Amino acid sequence: MSRFADLLVSTVLLAGLYATMSYGLGLIYGVLRVVNLAHGGVIMAGGYLGWVLYVRLGIDPYLTIPLVALASFGLGVALYQGLVRWLPRGAAGGPASLLLLFGVWLVLRNIAYALFTGNEQSITTAYSTRSLALLGVHLPVTRLAVLGIGLAIAAALHTLLRRTQVGRAIRAVAQNADSCTLVGIDVDRIYTLTFGIGTALSGIAGVLLATVFSFNPSSGASELLKAFVVVVLGGLGSIWGIALAALVLAAAETYAVLIMPSYLTTAVGFVLLVLVLVLRPGGFFGHRILA
Amino acid sequence: MTAPPLIPRRMAGVFVAGCAVLAVLPALDLSPYAHNQLTLSYVMIAGALAWNWMGGFVGQVSFGHAAMFGIGGFVAGRLMLHMQLPPPVCWLAGGVVAGVFTLAAHPTLRLRGPYFSIATIGIGEISRQVFTYWEEFTGGATGLSLPISAVQKYQLYWWALALAAAVALASIAIRRSSFGLRLLAIKADVDAAADVGISAALYQDAIFALSGAVVGVSGGIFASYFVFIEPGDMFGFDRSITFVLMAVIGGVGTSLGPALGAIVYVVLRNYLLASYPELHLGLFGVLVIVIILFQPLGITGLVRWLVRRVQRAASPGQP
Repeated sequence: MSRFADLLVSTVLLAGLYATMSYGLGLIYGVLRVVNLAHGGVIMAGGYLGWVLYVRLGIDPYLTIPLVALASFGLGVALYQGLVRWLPRGAAGGPASLLLLFGVWLVLRNIAYALFTGNEQSITTAYSTRSLALLGVHLPVTRLAVLGIGLAIAAALHTLLRRTQVGRAIRAVAQNADSCTLVGIDVDRIYTLTFGIGTALSGIAGVLLATVFSFNPSSGASELLKAFVVVVLGGLGSIWGIALAALVLAAAETYAVLIMPSYLTTAVGFVLLVLVLVLRPGGFFGHRILA
Repeated sequence: MTAPPLIPRRMAGVFVAGCAVLAVLPALDLSPYAHNQLTLSYVMIAGALAWNWMGGFVGQVSFGHAAMFGIGGFVAGRLMLHMQLPPPVCWLAGGVVAGVFTLAAHPTLRLRGPYFSIATIGIGEISRQVFTYWEEFTGGATGLSLPISAVQKYQLYWWALALAAAVALASIAIRRSSFGLRLLAIKADVDAAADVGISAALYQDAIFALSGAVVGVSGGIFASYFVFIEPGDMFGFDRSITFVLMAVIGGVGTSLGPALGAIVYVVLRNYLLASYPELHLGLFGVLVIVIILFQPLGITGLVRWLVRRVQRAASPGQP
């Protein structure tokens, strides 16, 4: 029973991380219909930025988040204005945007490799190994922090999209860009902003991930895969759907340890992805756009 | 009315002549370095062209072909070690196993575009992990040494050339056949293709398995060329990326462009690894970005553009 409870706790903690990892990918896909293949690369870059700020300047990793968010927002804006903007969107630009962002990923990997070598890094602070005991269950402090920040980000994103003028414009563009031009929304500006916010979310996820797992310039492929599973499972573009889907993926992976060797956990997400895409292409929780 | 020949006669002539020249090259005092580079290029040409059947003709960009490459390599290696079969038999067996493995990826073929691409990342990553842990088969992190003698390694040149030539002919034939046209129809519009009676599932299964089998065979020759193989490298994500890079550089979807891309890739990679080892991946990334933005058909597109320019210059009367 205690083992079951332990796994339940780790499921919830892992879900917070997976959800944070997925918002950026989901937002960009929901609005621009572009799968950001550089997503894993941005997560990796965010991790490195947080790590550098912590190791060189001694800033607490969780306090680096605003800086990393700002930097990756800038990166996203630059990527959109410099590259993605020039491609046809939708079905026609599918393979092109995919390959283009794949190129960006390679460049990011190489920059990280050139600056920090290929060694495994991780952010280890004084409290990294500390944990709280609650009703006989151990809760690592970093995991709790990640969950808390993940929830805060979900709430902030929800507020942005639901309660602000910009958020309404983003949702409107996601639904029908042509009509938006008619009512005076600068669609290109919204796209730029969305790509920036989406990339910022990926960067933040990178810092959070770096406080829990180790990383190197080549990491990102499995993060991209997991984020994609979550986004597809949650129905592209719905925030609470994404949170729920992250819980499903985390639960499947955590409890899979009971019945299969741990190196097969990547396969769990993959099987889930194929099942969802074959059975319910719209995702399990509907496919409203950014509700 | 007869259908046009799958391989136009003039093209066949040029092709045979070209292969004949390449086949006698080693007799003309070819340096060992050039000999090796050409062997490797042939293996890569076969892989790039086969990747392009799926990624170019059907438009299903795969980031997971390392799985088939690795399976082909390790099956061939194990057969050589334990059954002492002649290498070509082992390569073919590796190709067959890789092809059958590809058929098992059937459910992913219901996905299109980016969905399929990311699913193939999954196929690649899972294969890498499973085969790295399956030590009885792949030797795990310590890898596998193949019983290839120096003479056999030298002879790989002709085997690789034969494979590359066969795959190039197959590419042209597929592209010109009604089978190839059906693949293009699936790429253009799955639903419209289904309306005229083309089963996307069936044709994609066929071409994906064929592509996987050829990549498996090239994995076997590649393994024999390097003598020592290791699952982390054979099944690695970077291996999958290689196929994408070669095809993009040469021209995704063109029948022979990826062959050019493979040659450029092998030469450029060698040069970059020697001169700028810490920048080679990024430079390929920049190359991909530039190609996609300015010339989506890569070298092939560039050549076509140049030909058009020359033709226009030669006939100034035309507007």
